[in-house]
This record gives sequence, C-alpha cells and structure tokens, in this order.
Amino acid sequence: MRRLRALEPLAWVGPAVVLIAVVVLWPVVEMIRSSFLQISRVGIVRGFNGLDNYDKLFAEKDFADVMVRSVIWVVAVVALTVLISLALAQLFNQRFPGRKVARWALIAPWAASVLMTAIVFKWMLDPEVGVINQIRLKLGLIDAMGGASADQLGDASTAMPWLVFVAVFVSVPFTTYALLAGLATIPTDVYEAAKMDGASWIRTYWSITLPLLRPALTVAALINVMNVFNSFPIIWAMTHGQPGYSTATSTILMFILKGSDIGESAAMSVVNFGMVLVITALFLKISRWNRAVA
Amino acid sequence: MRMRLVGGAALGLATALVLSSCGSSAPSTEGGDQAADGGQVTLKMVAADYGDGPGKPNSGETFWKGVVDEFQAANPNIKVDVQVINWNDIDTQVATMVQNGQVPDILQTGDYSGFVADQLLYKVDEVLSPATSADMLEKFAEFGKVDGTGYGIPFVSSARALFYNKELFAKAKITDPPKTWDELKAAAEKLKAAGVSQPFGLPLGQEEAQAESFLWMLGNGGGYKDDAGKWAINSPQNVETFGYLKGLVDAGLTTPNPGTKDRKTVWEDFGAGKVGMVNGGPMSIPIFDAAGLKDYGVAPIAGKAGPLDTTLGVMDWIMAFNKNGHAAEIKKFFDFFYTGTAAQKISDTYKLLPVTKGGIDKLSGDEKLKPFLDGLPNASFYPFQDPKWAEVNPQIKQIIGGAVKDDPAKVLGELQKTAEAS
Repeated sequence: MRRLRALEPLAWVGPAVVLIAVVVLWPVVEMIRSSFLQISRVGIVRGFNGLDNYDKLFAEKDFADVMVRSVIWVVAVVALTVLISLALAQLFNQRFPGRKVARWALIAPWAASVLMTAIVFKWMLDPEVGVINQIRLKLGLIDAMGGASADQLGDASTAMPWLVFVAVFVSVPFTTYALLAGLATIPTDVYEAAKMDGASWIRTYWSITLPLLRPALTVAALINVMNVFNSFPIIWAMTHGQPGYSTATSTILMFILKGSDIGESAAMSVVNFGMVLVITALFLKISRWNRAVA
Repeated sequence: MRMRLVGGAALGLATALVLSSCGSSAPSTEGGDQAADGGQVTLKMVAADYGDGPGKPNSGETFWKGVVDEFQAANPNIKVDVQVINWNDIDTQVATMVQNGQVPDILQTGDYSGFVADQLLYKVDEVLSPATSADMLEKFAEFGKVDGTGYGIPFVSSARALFYNKELFAKAKITDPPKTWDELKAAAEKLKAAGVSQPFGLPLGQEEAQAESFLWMLGNGGGYKDDAGKWAINSPQNVETFGYLKGLVDAGLTTPNPGTKDRKTVWEDFGAGKVGMVNGGPMSIPIFDAAGLKDYGVAPIAGKAGPLDTTLGVMDWIMAFNKNGHAAEIKKFFDFFYTGTAAQKISDTYKLLPVTKGGIDKLSGDEKLKPFLDGLPNASFYPFQDPKWAEVNPQIKQIIGGAVKDDPAKVLGELQKTAEAS
C-alpha cells in the first residue's frame, strides 16, 4: 500500500509527461530520423541515406547566403522590436488621457493573424494599385504606377526592409506588454531614492529601470528570437523568398526543399533546430539570465 | 486510496486519449474489403478541387456528388466515397496516406509518375475498357506511360494562347496581334508609348514560372529537353530566348521584376486593363470576366519567326491504386465517367479541356475555346515523367526569373546542373 502511494505523484505528472513525449519529443526524434532517410516524393521511404541529405543541403549554392541572411534577419527584427518596445512601454507606463484606448489599440497587430497582416501589406505595396505606392506617387517619389520603381517587393534591397518592418510590426505588441508588466513590478521607492540623490533621468533609466527590467527583457527577447527565426508566413506571403532565394531565410528554404526532397528538407529542419538551440544558449549566456538581479 | 484511484484513472484516461488520437487516423477498412453483405464494395476516391472551395456552388464536393449519385443508381453494389482536397494540400495529404499505407482506390490529381516506381498503381488496361482507351487523344495517352506501360489516365487538359486587350491595342494603333518576336516588341513599344504600364504580362514568379518559360522556349525551337530526350535547359536557343526577354524587361516593356510575379496577379492586372498582352488559358477566362474585361482577343502565341504551331499542354490525371484489389469496380466507374455526361460536365463547369476525341468534337463550336482546342492535338508537355523533373521544377519556379535580370546563360546553366546531378 505504502509503496503504491509512493507511485502516486507519477500518476499525476504522468499525463503531462506522456503528452510532452508524444507532442514534443517524438516529432523531434522523427525529424532527425527523416533527415537520414531517402524518401521518395510520394512518401515512400527508400532506405537509409547516411549523410547524403546533409551533403546535398550544404552543397546548395544558396545555402550559405540563406543562413547568413537568417541570422541578420533575426538580429535586425529582434533588436528593432526590443528598442521600439522599450520606448513604447515607457510611454504606456505614463499616465495620460486616452491611455486605455492606446493600450488597447496596440493589441490590434498582435490579435490579427500574421498571414493576414502580411497579405495586407503585400496589397498595399502592389505596384499597380497599392495604397503605399499611390501615396508615394502623390509625394512625387515615383513617376508612375506599375513600373519597376513602384515595385518594392520585386527587389531584395527594397523588399528586405519591408519584410523586417512587417515582422517588427507584429512583434512589438507582445514585447511591449511583456516589458510593461516588467515596469509595473519595479517598486516606486527606488525611484524616490534616486530622486533624493539627484540622479539625472538618463542615469535613473540606465542604472535602475534597465537592470530591474532585465528578467522581463530577457524573456521577451528570447521568445522573439525563436519566433522570428522560425517565422514563415510573412516572407512566404510577401515574396516567396524571391527574387531567386534573395529574401529567403532557412525556414523558407526548408519549405521550398520539401517540394523536391523531403529528406533534404528534414536535414534543413535539423540544422534550423540546432541553430535555435545555439542562438538560445548564446543569448542566455550573454544575458546571464540566471544571475540574481540587483 | 480514493486519491490513488483518481490518479490512476487520470493516467489511464490520458493514455487512452493519446492512443485514440493516434488511432483516429487509422483506416476504417470495413467498407474497403469484400464485405459479406451481398458483394457491396466501397471505392475510396481522392480528388482535387477545381472549384472555389467547399460551400461554393462549383465546389468539387458538389460536382462529385452529382457524378457519384448517378453512378450508384446504376450500380447499386458499388459505393464511391469521394474526399475532395484543395490543390495546395493534396500532394502532401496523399503522401501521408501512402506513408501510412492507407492509399485510396482512385486518385485524381496533377501527376501520377511518382507512384509508378513503387508499383502502387494498376496498369491502364486493367482498369479501362478498350473502347474508352481508344477514344483518348493518342498524344495524351502516350504521356500516361512509363517505359511503354500506361499507368496514368488523362483526366482533363488545358492549353495556352496569347490574350490581348483589344481596347488598348486600338489606343496604341496596333491592328493585329503579334506573330513574331519582332512584332511583339514593336507592339509592346507602341503600348508603352500609349501609357500602358505593363505592355506584356510576364509572370516568372513562383506560381507557374515553368509554364511561362516553356512557352517562350517553344517559340525558339527550344524546350527543357532536346529531341534526343536529354536535358537542354541551357541550350543556345534557350539562352537566346531569355536574352530576348531580358531585353524586353530592361526596356520596361513587361511586368516589373518578372521573377517575383505570380500568374494570378498578372492575369488580374490584365483583367483590370493594365496589361496589353499576356499568355493565358481557358482557366484565365473566368478571372478576366470577374475583373470586368470584355474586349479581348485570343491568338496563337508569337514565336521568334512565326506563331507557335504547338502550345503548352497541361494534363491532370486519374489513376487507380492496386492495394485493395478493386480493379473490376474501378473499371466500371472509369467507363461510366468517360462515356457518360461527367467528363463533359467537368469541362463545362471549370473551363477545362477534354482529353477524348469525342469530348473535343462536342466543344468545337465554342469560339473562345477554339484556339486552345486547335492546339491540343499537337501540344508540348513538361518532361514530368523524368524523375528529375520533381527536383528541377521547384528550382525553375524559384530562380528562372533571374535569367531575365542577370546573365541568362548562368542561371539556365545552374538549372541544367540541377537536372544533370545524379
């Protein structure tokens, strides 16, 4: 009886463990296994393929570019998101008339489906009828609708900034709210103490707000890193990674490969998975997340 | 004691949930096998949706329900279960079915050749009666063969021609649609001068770059493969073709950045009167109509020295899987489909072209479809029976647009390398 009782906790955590094993671990194992298999395009496993899938992937002409672009994409989107959110959180932490409405309004880009937002921006940037181009035409920035100059998504140098913009646009609300919650946890007496000591506004922000905000900041940034790295709908809906592969990240490449070689696509997924792990580990090390704050 | 029981129950329940959720995707084989209830057989069929999706009046579900009801009334012993899947998902979903060993009896989709090597399909003569086989266009049936044996049965087809906006042509004072590349360029320049933003609509983006490219290659005696059946993507003819296109693009006579534009967008622009000429097919007619464009003409596609005597033919296929052993029942269904009203109904409903000689005769009165029907018997096709095509095609969709932006020989050379890689 007693021995049985000792097993009781297992019964309680069991379902969760089983769920994690089936929903999280099993797909990971299956993904890694697939990356070593030769799979025909209709789904028949032709057998073990050794490292051939990886060799083929690394030999892809655009592979290196795509990986570098993925890292730049993550750094650019997350850095801009965090900077903008820090400012916005500070603003929304002040008392001002209409704050409630402003806070609600910020939720909109978050609540809307990312795919929908991306498609809306693609339409707004349409060279023939897009509203953004009509505004640019009125401002005299372009001569006519429909030409190459009105087609900003058609060239990587102008498409990439727009992709980053949309990614930041959809990431800012969550990040701002996370930081806003962090700001609310900072006790007011430390600010009073700083005031008594005659600390400047910048000094207060740098030495009090930021350090105390670090846990919220770390979590928000980390979630963004993983989200942005795996981000698919924005780029896919707006450019398909084109022209060529010049706006593709590794997630887009993985999807494109799925159409021709499932094994190679699985290898790309494994590389992606490894990248996320490495970036996460690096990030946590740099931000010293587990060190006691203040 | 009470607590433990509850805990045990929770674990049991969770396990049951997990197990059943895995199990729910398992096949319900009862209907599929020769059942004891008087020889009743259920055929499982998977089909692509040519309509606007579930709930729309032209949805695949509605279409197939009509066909199946009629068939079942005539064959009370055979039940047909049709699962309609949209084009975006059908390949992956079928691949999952194959992977799990739950293949349908009948599959209607865009390609059959991937299933042949693994011996999943019935041969055509096992499931199609000789009379129905004989009515198929020979050229089409030929493409259903792998190493001389037929596996794919042509289902519907489609062809391409040049659409031109008559109103814009009148405005630019062009009398006839262009027949040669020189005439095409001259016409495009006149359209440009008349203020048309996209004189020629050139979709070389992901959606269907392989089709647009092929039409242009044909105009210069080129193609994806040469006459000997070897890959020839970077043949001198093709390099010249893309050099010509690059000239059009650089002069601003086409859709800007063609390598990023999908055909749907360009067709919609044509419908909106922003595009002077575009290559399209019967399936683009509803898009033009929906955009309100009335005054357009259809002509053969211009080639380097003269109009094409061939065109791109695209065929969809129907095929039978041999796993459940229902050849006799499948044969009845196929014969019913091709000899009855169903094949014609699908052409009428979705503006798709027939694959049988009888079907072409029936449609020959339709003025708008005539240029396409004329091209059908001599159509050219993608080299989709070559297993390499499955890798080359996505690569073409992704990068061939670069051939009108950068160096054509270099981009086509890369594609050739993909095709030749072992």
